[in-house]
Amino acid sequence: MPALTTHLLELTQLGSEITGVLDLPEKYWPKPGQYLACQRLGDLECIAIPLFRAFGDLGQPCLASIPETWHPGDRLAFFPPMGCGFELPKSARRVGLIPFEVSPARILSLVEPSLDQGAEIVLFCDPGLPADVLSRLPSRVEVLPLSSLAEDSTWPDYVAVDLERSNLVSLTERVDLFNLPGSVEVLLRTPMPCLGIGACGVCAVHTRRGFRFACTDGPVFPLKGLRHVA
Amino acid sequence: MWLDEDLAFYKRDLELSKPFVNADGVLGFAPDTRRVPTLAKLGAFITHPISIRPRQPAANRAYLPFNGGFLLHTGLPNPGVNQAIRRFRRSWGAADLPIIVNVLVESPAALAEMVRKLEGLENILGIELGLPPVCDPATLSAIMAAGAGELPLIPCLGAEQVPLLIDTLKDLQPSMVHLVEPRGTLPVQDGEFVSGRLYGPAIFPIMLKAAQDLVAAGLSVIANGGIAYRWQVDALMETGVTAVGLGSVLWGTDPESIFSP
Repeated sequence: MPALTTHLLELTQLGSEITGVLDLPEKYWPKPGQYLACQRLGDLECIAIPLFRAFGDLGQPCLASIPETWHPGDRLAFFPPMGCGFELPKSARRVGLIPFEVSPARILSLVEPSLDQGAEIVLFCDPGLPADVLSRLPSRVEVLPLSSLAEDSTWPDYVAVDLERSNLVSLTERVDLFNLPGSVEVLLRTPMPCLGIGACGVCAVHTRRGFRFACTDGPVFPLKGLRHVA
Repeated sequence: MWLDEDLAFYKRDLELSKPFVNADGVLGFAPDTRRVPTLAKLGAFITHPISIRPRQPAANRAYLPFNGGFLLHTGLPNPGVNQAIRRFRRSWGAADLPIIVNVLVESPAALAEMVRKLEGLENILGIELGLPPVCDPATLSAIMAAGAGELPLIPCLGAEQVPLLIDTLKDLQPSMVHLVEPRGTLPVQDGEFVSGRLYGPAIFPIMLKAAQDLVAAGLSVIANGGIAYRWQVDALMETGVTAVGLGSVLWGTDPESIFSP
């Protein structure tokens, strides 16, 4: 699988994350939850990193998290989109998004496809969003505290979650995600140093079908497929 | 007689057609040219470490970056030797390059059992011995004796193990020695520490020195080195190593530059 090349067009600070726009043909845009394995050309001392589809201006391939050392104009090598992303059901009309103790940049990449199919969207997050993120959200996206989902868990017919692998237990202690009426998918943040090339095992996730690798089998998993996450 | 029957197999020559291999743990259990086109540049494929019984990922598995490299702790998950043979023997046999199976040595008896299971498989060039982190000369001798069979043995030792084991290796004269990444420890959170192998260019000077010592002892050496640049390959080759082991550079987008003089 030979690498392709592109360059970084622009950078934006979105909450705590730096997002960037790459000069990419549309066929290489990762779906929400998928990632591009990306490396700055000549940066041989650093391994390639995963860049996820992030929230940005409509119709632009915005990716996160861009390293602080990268600048507009940098040339990048990348592999085509990798991993399993979110599968937003076509029937979903009430979409809940939960960035749990992480930046909302990645989960908000579901805003555009959700709006495209006429869904209502609620972002459940504690604490509230940074002002720069809030100001860029389309008006049809409502922002509520996580406790409101716990109080009315029947509202969403689809929920997407973004969290650190180690935080799944603490989220499910606050909201009974396993018993929501709709489907729930989880983007598990975990280091993926080999990006599927080496099956190194660092990103192993314990599922009901045994251990799976986030880099190749995920990083988005159906919540009901997860046994527990150690 | 073309074969000296008095010479233990682990002492017999082992030849690589090209002066590169992958480091164990870097490219999986079996070669896959669709994922890794650079396989054609390797003289042999080294498998992930395989143990006598299945191993699950470590609960505290971690990737911890530091300046110039990173520490990797995985627990060396693998399906165990029986299932590994069932799952990968066809891929190993059909591969375009010879296979070196890396085995985790937990005891001499377990090693002997694993060697017997691996002998007779197609296209296996040798067996690498992943030594325990604490391995004294007597243990190394016992391991080499237990592993003696029809396949050449390649003990793997971290740079930190060289001073303690080099005299024993001189006596044993294995077919080859594989110098692998040293182990290290980093703090995580709540006062806890994680230990694992260190990767990346920061380890190169240590690896070069250890490779020089092993070559000076008259041993055939495969040397990993945290290789990121071609000049590092050239420096290792100039010390007289037989082959260079490539680690995380194979996870990058442009490993080809390593192979071009």
